[in-house]
Amino acid sequence: MTETTSQNKSPSHNGFTGSYFVQVWRDTSLTLNPESKSEFDEDCEEAPTALDTVNSSGGFSLVGPDKLSVSYPSVNLHGHDVGVVQANRPAPMKRLVYYFEILVKNAGAKGQIAIGFTTSAFKLRRQPGWEANSYGYHGDDGLLYRGRGKGDTFGPTYSTGDTVGGGINYATQQFFFTKNGAVVGTVYKDVKGPVFPTVAVHSQSEEITVNFGKDPFVFDLKSLVSVYQAYEAEHRSRQQIDIDKISVPQDAGYGIVRSYLQHYGYEETLQLFDLASKSTVPPISLVSEIGCGEENSVYALNQRRILRQLIRCGQVDDAFAKIQEWYPQIMKDDSSIICFLLHCQKFVELVRGGRLEEAILYGRREFQKFKISSDLDELVKDCAALLAYEQPHKSVVGYLLCDSQRELVADAVNAMILSTNPNMKNTRLSMYSSLEILIRQLTASFLERRSLNGDQGEAFHLHRILESGMK
Amino acid sequence: MQTTSKKVITRDEWEKRLSDVKVRKQDMNKLVMNFLVTEGYVEAAEKFRMESGTEPEIDLATITDRMAVKKAVQSGNVEDAIEKVNDLNPEILDTNPQLFFHLQQQRLIELIRNGKVEEALEFAQEELAPRGEENRGFLEELERTVALLAFEDVNNCPVGDLLDISQRLKTASEVNAAILTSQSHEKDPKLPTLLKLLTWVQNQLDEKVSYPRINDFSTAMLEDPAV
Repeated sequence: MTETTSQNKSPSHNGFTGSYFVQVWRDTSLTLNPESKSEFDEDCEEAPTALDTVNSSGGFSLVGPDKLSVSYPSVNLHGHDVGVVQANRPAPMKRLVYYFEILVKNAGAKGQIAIGFTTSAFKLRRQPGWEANSYGYHGDDGLLYRGRGKGDTFGPTYSTGDTVGGGINYATQQFFFTKNGAVVGTVYKDVKGPVFPTVAVHSQSEEITVNFGKDPFVFDLKSLVSVYQAYEAEHRSRQQIDIDKISVPQDAGYGIVRSYLQHYGYEETLQLFDLASKSTVPPISLVSEIGCGEENSVYALNQRRILRQLIRCGQVDDAFAKIQEWYPQIMKDDSSIICFLLHCQKFVELVRGGRLEEAILYGRREFQKFKISSDLDELVKDCAALLAYEQPHKSVVGYLLCDSQRELVADAVNAMILSTNPNMKNTRLSMYSSLEILIRQLTASFLERRSLNGDQGEAFHLHRILESGMK
Repeated sequence: MQTTSKKVITRDEWEKRLSDVKVRKQDMNKLVMNFLVTEGYVEAAEKFRMESGTEPEIDLATITDRMAVKKAVQSGNVEDAIEKVNDLNPEILDTNPQLFFHLQQQRLIELIRNGKVEEALEFAQEELAPRGEENRGFLEELERTVALLAFEDVNNCPVGDLLDISQRLKTASEVNAAILTSQSHEKDPKLPTLLKLLTWVQNQLDEKVSYPRINDFSTAMLEDPAV
């Protein structure tokens, strides 16, 4: 195998590839940090669990320490001293039905209790339904208010001892309300975007408790949900039939796997894969072998494999030396991101080997020159934090000692070498395997489809597909 | 034909979205491992475990056994295959009468192929006919298979397809799927399913948007949106 090294790489080019891997590292770091919400979980919507005590209305109502009860201790004077409280989170949207309940413990002086939904822009001194983009079912008159000045005839009044519920039916785009387990009525939901479950009290001694689902609901939500689930399941199975009917070229999966192995320099796997596929019955045709992508993906295959193996074994010094020998242009700028990643990995390997003093000296010597961006700073901090723990692999930065971190650095080196290929026109192709491009396309397409669908429906998540067992 | 109201997403915009997608390397590795394991590339799977640190989802030894069964059927050693399946897990054939029938049918086909007419007849009467009585579909297939004996030139007869290599492959793939199912493993790799999903979602989008598509999965090239 002959490899030519090209000298015409601009630094910005290297920076682009490098920063991609810094971003991947950042994502890993953030995912494992329990304080942060991972982007991978974007779909796992958190439902309201308690009342919001931070933004509740200025002192008119009193939220109990359980954050699930509200009372109105004072005497109400006018319409701008309503005790309104929103839930701590908006109602989740990527589901069929959302529902919560209140129990009126004390209807107080006037029974001016309300249950409903409001947006984040809602003014927290007013009854839900009095303002635009808010909806409220009021206890004292049984009317439904939806920001139109006056209420509409809706249902019965409610008072002490009654359980009242508010829900959203996403399938029909309606709000619905219940009293003591029976549906009172529905109203079209003509507000887009997230809405917060909201309750209000507005006369002396009024007191309610809220149930966000921690306790069983009085209303039999399951029967409602199962009706829609059946509808949804039918819809989905029809969709599944459509998908099953689609045929894809028989060897497409085979070709994608093969180019993946080439892209990442899994050379030995590739050899066994090729060997095995020649002896299958019937043998897989290797027509695509001379395809236009082939030449690029076998570029420096052997060297990429050797470097990956060195990094995966923790031999960072040897990897440095080999890169220096084969691709000096990559190492020319010793403050480049690829050098940063390798130095970090060297540091991590020293910690892994228990050579802490050496690690400290190494870090002091090498990290100095990388104080260029806050992203890198954070990552240096993660590395340094390893020193703080007696058992670093069990700490929050323990991910640095996992196999996957070595793999990340190996991937970055692999991408840098691919980018030295003078025939590689598109930088993206040095970073992404065709498998990755297809997964990105799949994810982006699903997101666009969902956005066309009013932000409802499913997104595509590879890890979920992987976790799903048998069909 | 172009509708004027169709939304257009430019290449730049779409590429930005693509680069915003988070894809985990481990997930891609798992997808590749799933392919190697399901398709039976046992040596490659073992090596991939070492080169990428990805753990296979099932014991790789079971792949070797499964591939041995598959190969036995593919090369016409059906008796050997049945024995191997039973070694692996006797429940597979007990709970799957159709698979068992197809294996026995394949055995009959191999006997006929090898010109062992008497043995074939005896086998058909003793082993296959009682099963045909239980199931009408089995009976028809049995009759079709025995019909092979009635023709001098089996290669040019109406049931000649049974002697084709594709019949062996069909049976082999059926037994392969049954073994995977018995190991609580999906019988198809996930990667082709994702390609179907991609085809489907792109078709769905086509109705409403013009955007850069990927038409050729092997090159994964983005095609410019039709404006």
